[in-house]
Amino acid sequence: MSDNGFQCIHVENIDDVSVVRFADDKVMDPARIEQLGGELLRLSESQSEPRVVINFSDVKFFSSAAINKLIVLEKKVRAKGGRMRLTNLRPEVRDLFGFTQLDSLFQIYDQQAEAVVELTTK
Amino acid sequence: MLDVGSEANFLSTQTMPNTDWISNLERSIPSDTKVACQLIREFVAQMQDAGWNEASIFAVHMALEESIMNAIKHGNESDPEKFVQIEARFSVDRFEAEIVDEGLGFEPSEVADPTLDENLELTSGRGVMLIREFMDEVEYLDGGRRIRMTKRVVDER
Repeated sequence: MSDNGFQCIHVENIDDVSVVRFADDKVMDPARIEQLGGELLRLSESQSEPRVVINFSDVKFFSSAAINKLIVLEKKVRAKGGRMRLTNLRPEVRDLFGFTQLDSLFQIYDQQAEAVVELTTK
Repeated sequence: MLDVGSEANFLSTQTMPNTDWISNLERSIPSDTKVACQLIREFVAQMQDAGWNEASIFAVHMALEESIMNAIKHGNESDPEKFVQIEARFSVDRFEAEIVDEGLGFEPSEVADPTLDENLELTSGRGVMLIREFMDEVEYLDGGRRIRMTKRVVDER
């Protein structure tokens, strides 16, 4: 585990893929979301072609403000020629991405392992 | 306290007058997102204690979060002199709420559709749509300064 001073996320490197988990199960406090956005950007800036898996298994609530930070991260990762995947979303959180049509912007996988394999083999 | 006129008692007088409310919140809070977050956390925790399932709690949490944050940020423009009036209550199987701000109001139909391809990467404007998706009934009144919403408990998946 190498968290690099992050407080809102835990980062584990698996086969050169950064696997991110959230420290909070309810991602909603505005100040905390701002901090989260900064940490996610810092993570993406530390790599030349970021490969990022965001594991949602601990997340019970995710606000639209938090989603906005993921959109910013996705743009950043794409601009750097990297790739990003979301995994392990509980049904309600998956609905959130479906209702907003953001499941066409983000690539969503059921399990972390398959996303890691996909990012390391292609 | 904001003068909300005769409609202030809409929820208590016109909907489900005989409902046994487990929690019945009526608060006026300053335009402070931290205060709002705490209030929402407490309300949601009460639903959990009362045995509401995760899917239904998530829907209520989403609607309260988005409506109150919209009221603070877009309605009251985070002006600490302005207040948000919150009524929220739930029974064993029903939730209803009314959120009122002191802003200039807005026209919900004029909010850009965030699900269109050209708007997918926008980092704002999803709140109104999410509230409609997660609630059963949503109504905007007073030029958009007042939102009413209801939800029946959904089956656990």
